[in-house]
Amino acid sequence: MSGKIIKQLFKKEMLDVLRDKKTVLMMVVVPLVIYPLILILSMGIMSGVSQDMAKSTYNVAISGDLWAEYVVLLVETESEEYSFKIIRSDDMEADLQNGTIDLYITADDVLGEDVVCVYYLSASTKSSYGLNIVLDKLEEHSRAKTYDLLEAADLDPEEVLKPIKIEYLDHSTAEESTGSLLGSILPFMLVVSILMGTMYPAIDTTSGEKERGTLETVLTLPVTSKELIISKFMAVGLFGIASAILNLISMCGVMAYMFNMMEAMGAGVFGQISVGKFVPPVIIGVLCVFAFAVFVSALSMCVCAFAKSYKEANNYITPVMLVVMLASFVSIIPNIELTKTMSLVPVVNLCLLLRDLLVFKFNYLNILLVLFSNIIYGIVAVLILSRIYNSESIMFGDGQSGIQIFEKRSNMKKGGVPTLGDAGFVIVIMALVYLYVGSSLQLNYGSYGLVLSQLLFIAVPLSITLYTKKSVKETFKLNLCKPKKLAGGVLLGIGTIGWALVISAISTSLFKESAAASQQGLEGYFPNSFLLGLLIMAATPAICEEMFFRGYVFSALENKLKLITAILLNAALFGVFHMSLAKFLTTAFLGGMIAYIGHKSKSIFPGMVVHFMNNAFACVVMYYPVDFALSFEFLVMNNTVDTLISIIFVAIIAVVFPILGYKLMADKITPNNE
Amino acid sequence: MEQILVANNLIKTFERHEKKQKKVSFNAVDDVSFAVNQGEIVGILGPNGAGKTTLLRMLGMLMKPTSGNVTMTIDGQLEEKETKLKANIGYLSGNTKLYARLSTRELLEILGNIYGLTKEEIDSRIDRISKILNLGEFIDNRIEKLSTGQTQRASISRCLIHNPMIYIFDEPTLGLDIISSNSIIEFMKQEREQGKTVLYSTHYMEEAEYLCDRIILLDKGKIIAQGTLEELRTLTGKDKLRDIFNSLIKEVE
Repeated sequence: MSGKIIKQLFKKEMLDVLRDKKTVLMMVVVPLVIYPLILILSMGIMSGVSQDMAKSTYNVAISGDLWAEYVVLLVETESEEYSFKIIRSDDMEADLQNGTIDLYITADDVLGEDVVCVYYLSASTKSSYGLNIVLDKLEEHSRAKTYDLLEAADLDPEEVLKPIKIEYLDHSTAEESTGSLLGSILPFMLVVSILMGTMYPAIDTTSGEKERGTLETVLTLPVTSKELIISKFMAVGLFGIASAILNLISMCGVMAYMFNMMEAMGAGVFGQISVGKFVPPVIIGVLCVFAFAVFVSALSMCVCAFAKSYKEANNYITPVMLVVMLASFVSIIPNIELTKTMSLVPVVNLCLLLRDLLVFKFNYLNILLVLFSNIIYGIVAVLILSRIYNSESIMFGDGQSGIQIFEKRSNMKKGGVPTLGDAGFVIVIMALVYLYVGSSLQLNYGSYGLVLSQLLFIAVPLSITLYTKKSVKETFKLNLCKPKKLAGGVLLGIGTIGWALVISAISTSLFKESAAASQQGLEGYFPNSFLLGLLIMAATPAICEEMFFRGYVFSALENKLKLITAILLNAALFGVFHMSLAKFLTTAFLGGMIAYIGHKSKSIFPGMVVHFMNNAFACVVMYYPVDFALSFEFLVMNNTVDTLISIIFVAIIAVVFPILGYKLMADKITPNNE
Repeated sequence: MEQILVANNLIKTFERHEKKQKKVSFNAVDDVSFAVNQGEIVGILGPNGAGKTTLLRMLGMLMKPTSGNVTMTIDGQLEEKETKLKANIGYLSGNTKLYARLSTRELLEILGNIYGLTKEEIDSRIDRISKILNLGEFIDNRIEKLSTGQTQRASISRCLIHNPMIYIFDEPTLGLDIISSNSIIEFMKQEREQGKTVLYSTHYMEEAEYLCDRIILLDKGKIIAQGTLEELRTLTGKDKLRDIFNSLIKEVE
């Protein structure tokens, strides 16, 4: 690797990108303009509202026996901000509707008690504001009357009305309140803006280069792919960091302006801020932001490298953008804390860290975790990128792995399995649908909601398969398989479940909190009857999840990637979808093995059976814990005979079954074999 | 004559999606061996899909062969290293576009640096290339502003900056007007006179007849005939290259 070559390539990338107006516009102008613009807009709205309020004169009609008393009350309490004009109204409803009056008040003496009714129009802002003012006045008036009555009865009104004195003090410092205010918006804006800033250079240097046909030119040069990627990555990363810096500067400028304004207006808290206290969190935050910018650069380059044109790259990066935006919304949710686990979740970790830093929360372990996890994700993304740049099928490819769903439907080829791009897109869509639609179904309809949310796993991929004209039979592997393969799959499956229990035991002990949380979360969904439980918790997921993971997703992976890569990706995805740290390894292992069974048997059904057996096993433990424990008691007995039996039992499950299953599944080698 | 570039048993396998997207492997280039001597122009001819571009991409080190290798004799040494070979090849095809937002001079400077030339070398070579290809009037304009002919000359200048021993051109005259394609043909002839080697593919029979010292006929990834025009005439008993081509292709089918 030569530094000189990298420098030259880097120079070329920088010149090339900087001379593209669109990129510069996105990177420089957007952050520099958008924050002041938002400020001006919000100030404009604010001052508009308050000016409106200042001039307000409310037209009020008053009737009833006590009208005179209340006219005096209203007129007496006029202030600089508002005044009341008492007018006569003969038709209250019509006058309210057409705005002649804002409020209509009746005040009557009913058996020695004052009864005041205020009629208003909730649809009218002015009427509503007026109501609030009048209610305050009435409340005050009522209190004054109470005091008078109590004093007349020789009682101390303070003591009677407030036997307990309650005080509450806001303990957060001025910096903290400002920080928390900013902390909820700033991370979101920053993340999105950095993504926008890196997106165009990333597209430009990868798919843009392919589209313009300069990639082949670069490949003629005595340059290694490492040098090429490093130079491109340096350029995009630099743009990411530059975009981050510009965003921060613009934001700081706007904030400083706001603080000055507030101070000039004498708005209390802002006057007490000491800038010095902001320095340490800002430095650490900036470092993390830089690491994040670098990670985002590599990520967007990875995504764009698959595309052959600007337009295609835009299609690919849109789902990424959506996911990142959704993840950055986390900073607005108050109850989510930056835990050790959260520190490892990309995007979310940065947003939570920034939020914490702005209220001066320091936990150096978490900060380091965020910093290093972002660096590691960046490195992983760069490694993947270098794999992509080494792959001739992607560099010179026919675009077979693209997202077809965005193409014209008439151009779609009939038959076959989905492309990798389509699978990626559907995974993202499925994640969003499952997260939002699925969880609301589960919350509202309990275990039936669970069934409905599971059906999404069939509905989404099936509708996209049909739309993209792929073969349903091939995509979902709806082939009957030979009994021998089914038997093999089931035996291998039993062994897998056995091993999964061991993995589960280990990871439960490693992540106790997470395991307890996921267990608790599940318990609510088990219906009372065992059979119903079996149907909802075992049969439904076995069918629905298999259709999605081993059907749609795996057939796309299997078609394009090496078997081991396809299985590992499928496993990781299956693990991630279960959204529990404790369950990740177990579910990933199960998912990977079932994918292998699906590959060998060329059918989805053996996998469904294994998935069902696994979940059914969990159901048995759940419904009949005592019977279950009793029937496996021999495993934990201490006498030699039982120990021997238990060793044999475990050995059969863990070793004999899988080997037997593997042999049964193996393809016979015949001369006619492909 | 000294052999400068040797292709040894080159095979390139691709996967093709046929009906129902079943993957089928096929060899785009199927066991191709030949040698190119210094100072000759070798034409590679063949129908569409014969594997010309794939073969030239492998020779230009843009693609790795599935098996087989390419060697070059550089300063009397047999070399196989990718970057070493690339540094001595000027590769041009319809797909090697230029960075539109740079000027020709900027491009040449950057490329010169990548090829490891010194600043003085770069300046003097840019001067010379500019004279040969008449770049003077537009060398400092952005490439996106140039006309097709000017762009073509800028493209050739890119292949010249490092003074390579061998030029590999993949259909360099495809889609160009007479004037632009003439400039390329003349350029190749001039370079041969300088002792440079040219390996190029084309669809234009007359052009190949006029230019090539030797011709390699490729069909379905295999060499079906190679030799000088005279040798091919003797082989087929035909006079025009077009007829020679037709009869050889028919023979295979």
